[in-house]
Amino acid sequence: MAELQKDPMTRGDFLGFGVLGAVVGAILTIPPAAFVLGPLIDTDVRGQSDVPSGPDDWFEVAPISEVPAGTEPKVFTVEFPVEQVYGKPEIQEESGTSSKEFTVPSAIWLSWEHEINADGTYGQNLRPSFLDGKSEGLSESEIEEIQSTLNVLSSSCAHLGCPVRWLIREGEGEFLCPCHGGIYNINGEYVAGPPPRDMYSYDFEVREDGIVYAKHQFDTGGDNGPQEPYVI
Amino acid sequence: MIGRIRSQAFETGKFLTDWMEHRTGIVTMMEHFLYEPVPKRGAWLYTLGSATLFCISLQFLTGILLLFYYVPTTDHAWNSIYYIMNEAYFGTLIRGIHYWSANFLLVVIGLHMAQVFFSGGYKAPRELNWVVGVALLLLVVVLAFTGYLLRWDQDGFWASVVGMKIGSYSPFVGGPTIRFLMGGDVIGPSTLSRFFALHVWLLPAALAPLIGAHLYLLRKHGVFGSEFEYSDRLAKLHERERLESYEQYEEDEGEPFTGRRDREDRE
Ligand code: HEM
Ligand code: FES
Repeated sequence: MAELQKDPMTRGDFLGFGVLGAVVGAILTIPPAAFVLGPLIDTDVRGQSDVPSGPDDWFEVAPISEVPAGTEPKVFTVEFPVEQVYGKPEIQEESGTSSKEFTVPSAIWLSWEHEINADGTYGQNLRPSFLDGKSEGLSESEIEEIQSTLNVLSSSCAHLGCPVRWLIREGEGEFLCPCHGGIYNINGEYVAGPPPRDMYSYDFEVREDGIVYAKHQFDTGGDNGPQEPYVI
Repeated sequence: MIGRIRSQAFETGKFLTDWMEHRTGIVTMMEHFLYEPVPKRGAWLYTLGSATLFCISLQFLTGILLLFYYVPTTDHAWNSIYYIMNEAYFGTLIRGIHYWSANFLLVVIGLHMAQVFFSGGYKAPRELNWVVGVALLLLVVVLAFTGYLLRWDQDGFWASVVGMKIGSYSPFVGGPTIRFLMGGDVIGPSTLSRFFALHVWLLPAALAPLIGAHLYLLRKHGVFGSEFEYSDRLAKLHERERLESYEQYEEDEGEPFTGRRDREDRE
């Protein structure tokens, strides 16, 4: 090595090269890196989402009267709009370039919570009984009761995201994932198979008019680690 | 008459090749590239590397052709492929080749790798070519993954969702990588743009120079197991055995070896 250095480097040179190298390196790498990592900065560091999920961004799922009263869920599709790359909606509208909005069509299973017996069979159906006579004009306490007993589940399997289906077997139903056989009960709780946790449930609310609204937000915690629904 | 034309054409051809050879050395280079001694035994297995290269070349050629019609936006991706399949002349053929060659590519690249592994072709001095080969394999796998989403049909879309979901389980890097690929926290228009940029620009651009390095290293060391290599190795082995037997002699007899004698002769 030593022979290679015809001109020995002084400490000043070394410092100079180091500082210059760092500055030039930063100028060359930071802009392109930030350019391609932009969405990562937005979603991870600044906590933004591509799906509007502010305080006012509730999307209608279904009227409460359409949730089956028995031990059976029903699926509804909600199209959550996605705001990515195509710019502000107002500008798009004004320029008329693309009126088509991109959405994440999400299948949502609605059902009433059930008590689960020790042997895994279903116990009491917790559906509020006042719903037999009315489905709108709900009072505050009624809404609260509904919200604590309604299951609002994402159809995306907590394992690898395949859509689960409802399957009746021996008179009792369960959610079965077609991909690797994950099984959940009517409350979306894990029963068998590879999924590491329960099904994801949406943040939702019920209003006086008896309609269920959901946000594109999920309970991401759970006993088996904080897996997030990265792709739904 | 015919004879004269023929000899004139021959002269002209010779003149042109000489001219090029002088200025570029192309003839020597071609000779170097095209003639490669390979072992007689299992010679066909040595075509697996060329088969891989052939499939990759097909991918490049048909991929570039597809780009004349393919539109990488969520509104038009599916429709543009529909157009390729139903309206464009030979569209079914071009896209079919891209699709099937991608599948065959993954098969032959695996067989090629297996051949190198089982023949021990990765051993010194060819370790680095194995490393380059692994990088090539990974690039091709990612290319196949990113290409599938470009169809933007139910099949490609959900396969990509499941693929990304699998990736998202990797500790630490999983989540950020997937968000980088999706361009956000859900799959959407920017996911398609990103997969397109990767599939058509970044990954092929990374693939090409690595293929160059792979071939350069191959030419530098020759195909493993060529006849020269065997005779070379055998000669070295014999030489080593000879030296060892001298040492053994000195150890046993306590005197230097001076000539070729068997022990019995000296008794
Ligand atoms: C090793 C290299 C490559 C592999 C393994 C590969 C693989 C694939 C695959 C699996 C698809 C989906 C095809 C289908 O399902 O119909 C695809 C699509 C596509 N690829 Fe490639 N590809 C490669 C190189 C390239 C290159 C170099 C280009 C262009 C420069 C390219 C351009 C495209 C385009 C435009 C499509 C969308 C059209 C379609 O889906 O048929 N590909 N690729
Ligand atoms: S994706 Fe549902 S069990 Fe694997």
